[in-house]
Amino acid sequence: MVYITSWDEFVERSAQLFRADPDSTRYVMKYRHCDGKLVLKVTDNKECLKFKTDQAQDAKKMEKLNNIFFTLMSRGPDADVSKLQGKNRQKHNQGKEGEGNNSFVGC
Amino acid sequence: MVLLQPDPFLNELTSMFEHSTEKGTVWVTLKRSSLKSKVQRNKMAAAGEPLEYRCLIRATNGKKTISTSVGPKDHQRFQASYATILKAHMTSLKKRERKDKKKVPGADKKEGGSKKPKRA
Repeated sequence: MVYITSWDEFVERSAQLFRADPDSTRYVMKYRHCDGKLVLKVTDNKECLKFKTDQAQDAKKMEKLNNIFFTLMSRGPDADVSKLQGKNRQKHNQGKEGEGNNSFVGC
Repeated sequence: MVLLQPDPFLNELTSMFEHSTEKGTVWVTLKRSSLKSKVQRNKMAAAGEPLEYRCLIRATNGKKTISTSVGPKDHQRFQASYATILKAHMTSLKKRERKDKKKVPGADKKEGGSKKPKRA
């Protein structure tokens, strides 16, 4: 079983795997409360990527990944997930363009 | 295998999490599916009809399995509720304490904590 140590690499490769074969790729999550462990698996029945953790911060990251997968799966592999993935890096630039700058003008 | 509507599915999922706190596991699987058999799919492809895909979500605690399917219109709402359930139940994961009470210089320097060196 291929356990990936870097979260970003896991996300990147899972998205690639899904886009390459959307019909047979599945995303599995296993949670054991008694052990405090979370394991994520993405496989297309040929290749398998896994990620395991016991950290609460990874649960938050997993929620973002869930969003990505939900969007990809219900809308199709061509759905735009760049907004979801890029959230970590560019919080202020992306998103609501209509609102403009958050900082107040004219002090 | 019980196929439910998204809302009852979420309720059942919640109770699954609640019942497996002492012992047991919860598995949740996400997969894209058109929910049609291969024959139907081939027919639709031949007729030129666009195939409608949905996201199939399955959950099990090893004994009972429940499932639901979510389309593009309801997936936003479902994922919000789903995220809430997960956040509420994944409480046994460790929280990384960046701000350590013990002053251990040099131990956590890699993580770039908010330590201000106090020099009298």
